[in-house]
Amino acid sequence: MAKQLITLTVNGARYETAVGPRTSLLSLLREGLELTGTKQACAEGECGACSVVLDGRLVMSCLIFAVEADGRQLTTIEGLSEGATLHPIQAAFVEHGAVQCGFCIPGMIMAASYLLDRNPNPTEEEIRHAIAGNLCRCTGYGKIIKAIAAAAGAG
Amino acid sequence: MKGTWVAGTRVTAIDAAEKTTGQTKYLQDLRLPGLLVGKVLRSPHPHARLRRVSAERARRVPGVRAVVTGADTPGIKFGIVIPDEWALAVDRVLYVGDEVAAVAAVDEEAAREALALIEVEYEPLPPVFDVEEALRPGAPRLHDDKPGNLATGFLIDRGDVDQAFRESDVLLGGTYRTQMQHQGNLEPICCMAEYAGGRLTLWGPLQSPFLARQYLLAKPLGLSEGQVRIIQTPVGGAFGGKLDEKHYLICALLALHAGRPVRLANSYAEELTTTRPRMPAILRIKSGWSKAGMLRAKQVEVLADNGAYSSLSPSILSSMAMRTDSLYRTPAARVDAKLVYTNNLPSGQMRGFGNPQATFAWESHIDEVAEALGMDPVELRLRNATEAGDVTVHGWEIASCGLKECIAKAAEGIGWKEQRANRVPNRGVGLACTIHVTSNKPFATSITGYEFDGSSALVKVEEDGQVFVATGEVDLGEGVTTTLALIAAEELGVPLAQVRVLQVDTDSVPYGLGTYASRTTFMGGHAVRLAAADAKRQLFELAADLLEANVADLEAREGRIAVRGAPERGIAVAEVARAGMSRGRPMIVGRGTYESQARMQDVTHKYGNQTLTYSFACQAVEVEVDPETGRVRVLRVVAAHDLGRAINPVGAEGQIEGGVVQAVGLALSEELQQREGRIRNPGFLDYKIPSVLDATRVESILVETIDPHGPYGAKGVAETAINPGAAAIANAVYHAVGVRVRELPLTAENVRAALGRADG
Repeated sequence: MAKQLITLTVNGARYETAVGPRTSLLSLLREGLELTGTKQACAEGECGACSVVLDGRLVMSCLIFAVEADGRQLTTIEGLSEGATLHPIQAAFVEHGAVQCGFCIPGMIMAASYLLDRNPNPTEEEIRHAIAGNLCRCTGYGKIIKAIAAAAGAG
Repeated sequence: MKGTWVAGTRVTAIDAAEKTTGQTKYLQDLRLPGLLVGKVLRSPHPHARLRRVSAERARRVPGVRAVVTGADTPGIKFGIVIPDEWALAVDRVLYVGDEVAAVAAVDEEAAREALALIEVEYEPLPPVFDVEEALRPGAPRLHDDKPGNLATGFLIDRGDVDQAFRESDVLLGGTYRTQMQHQGNLEPICCMAEYAGGRLTLWGPLQSPFLARQYLLAKPLGLSEGQVRIIQTPVGGAFGGKLDEKHYLICALLALHAGRPVRLANSYAEELTTTRPRMPAILRIKSGWSKAGMLRAKQVEVLADNGAYSSLSPSILSSMAMRTDSLYRTPAARVDAKLVYTNNLPSGQMRGFGNPQATFAWESHIDEVAEALGMDPVELRLRNATEAGDVTVHGWEIASCGLKECIAKAAEGIGWKEQRANRVPNRGVGLACTIHVTSNKPFATSITGYEFDGSSALVKVEEDGQVFVATGEVDLGEGVTTTLALIAAEELGVPLAQVRVLQVDTDSVPYGLGTYASRTTFMGGHAVRLAAADAKRQLFELAADLLEANVADLEAREGRIAVRGAPERGIAVAEVARAGMSRGRPMIVGRGTYESQARMQDVTHKYGNQTLTYSFACQAVEVEVDPETGRVRVLRVVAAHDLGRAINPVGAEGQIEGGVVQAVGLALSEELQQREGRIRNPGFLDYKIPSVLDATRVESILVETIDPHGPYGAKGVAETAINPGAAAIANAVYHAVGVRVRELPLTAENVRAALGRADG
């Protein structure tokens, strides 16, 4: 099927690219733009591993067609750290032992970043609800909650 | 931790930062020139004869580079203890999802089109899905050489069980059922293979690269081990699921036929419907006790659902049937275990390796016994607990044991006495214990054929003092690379930041058995300790020359080698290494091989050690049950673990917290539901692993018994973390609302039904 030319801004950089009508935003990011920090796990919108921020909304990129991102702004995990300096949320995840296999972590951190951008001092309950759509099979979530709370306190 | 300087301290995982930035390259992030997409065609029938498989039309699809069917495989049967599986189906398919053919094409669309054009004629045969029906005469037979669908079974009698039962004051029986739990690793099983220059290279997130090289690839492909190279990629969760998989073999076959690299990756639906989840079982227990609450004898009958093929299940069956017999002092034991073929999804290994199923049954049963005896469940456990120095009923030699301390600490942590004395309606507390192996030699030998359980390591010191650690062990995300780095840093006296652990490449790292049976800290840890000590000896020889001192007087700490008691007579490790470049020792390499010296099990009678040492734990939980809906909420968990010694305490806590929450899933929500051999819930929407809203507060208590055999006294902790949770929760539910649920999971529906029966 015919490809369509779209333009989008990802982490501040402008891209112009041709995408198929059924290409997901996740595929565009990972394969088209080679931004592989966003992970593909269930690819059905059930695990949150592919979470990115699209025009200020947290979305699962596997559920969105690439063409829908035309003319829009995206932030992915690659857009959080600045050079070699970790974003405070990333640093808190490292510091608090919140990372095991790491596969859920980029999506988890995007969800945390989305929360803290809107609510710099969340309660534990608010943290839990903010990451309720992000599955982690390794950690049992306790250290992730602590890391997000610590990042909020630090910011 | 006394006597050490970095081991035992709270450090951040050495690979964590990269994982938070998305820079860690998992298999799905790698590309090769000319890479093809692989896809598998699977049986839609639970049991059928293959009358014809034709790939002609599929091969003509533009972009298709290979189509392989059973006829294109080397015809070597696959399977460790029981070779009962073909790489691709040859004459019959035995479950919904059985691999029939595979394609490799330039893109996803071409691969899908080709799959649709493979013509397969099936002749459906009568299936059997229930283990008890499968054992009955006249049941459909799955494997011609396995009459009665009995894959394997064994009967063991230790002591006079019948006499002990006659002499018991209290005899109690119970039947417990456990479900199929999926590993739920977020990264689905995947790999990439290339055949070039007469060699096969496979990239993937494996649990054991060397075992995979030998028995998953070289053997069924008719290659020798050195013709296969495995390049390990970071693992996005495994929990047993990435240990034994035909997936890698199918990808290798595609690469062989296509002459180009191929990537094969499960969709998540495939992950949940065609991989090897936890083996479901029926456990019938009978036990006999004295009035004083001393265990006289224990009998267990296990019927385990193998599904269509065996893979690692014979070993899981042994573990499930026997492991809990060593938790308490058991004077006599009888085990009758059967592994039964059905046309269900083949079951397999998940964290705990049969032990969570057995522990659910036995530790639920112990609480029932306590009630029958009118005794407190904590007291009953303390009276019977195994202790250090014991030789258990199956001949396990218990080198260290903190079980009693774990029980006392978990009970105290949950407020046992007050909570049992002052009842709050619909709230309850319960606890459960576990014993687990640290490594498993009979299992290793059954796969490799070698009498070896251990590990090897190389420790290389670069000219700038950077230390590289190479082993055959892998990190599944639990953080063992950090633990191994801590051990190297400890031995060499260098800061942790100076140590890197290599990703496994079977061409260049020494032999290791990989990650299963909670073994890597113990086995890999010993090997790294020995290799680092060897490197240190070489550094000391150089340093002694440079400092004009005796080797025996030197010590290493904080990146410097100095004369003991005279720190000013010292030199940086980096300077020593650089000086070595001009003194005939360019890049020091230390070597270490550790072999477990346990007196091992007699394979026929299954009597004797499975390993050198054993871990223990007790977990206490508090729950709240909604009597209207039956919904159970786990309010908190206190988990006391005898892990010998915590070399990496943050990692150990991570194991415990993660294991506890997986056990909450096992106890309350997770079940792959099969109807007529089809999985009805192939997605996370219906297959419910705990989200953060289901997760509970976990308090970890590390009980350090300093094992005489472990590296710095350490034992395993990964699997004890998941074993006791389901029983502890079932016991707490009983305490809360007075219904005993003997079948997992305790969904709201099941608990409500049990409450209804109790009311009626």
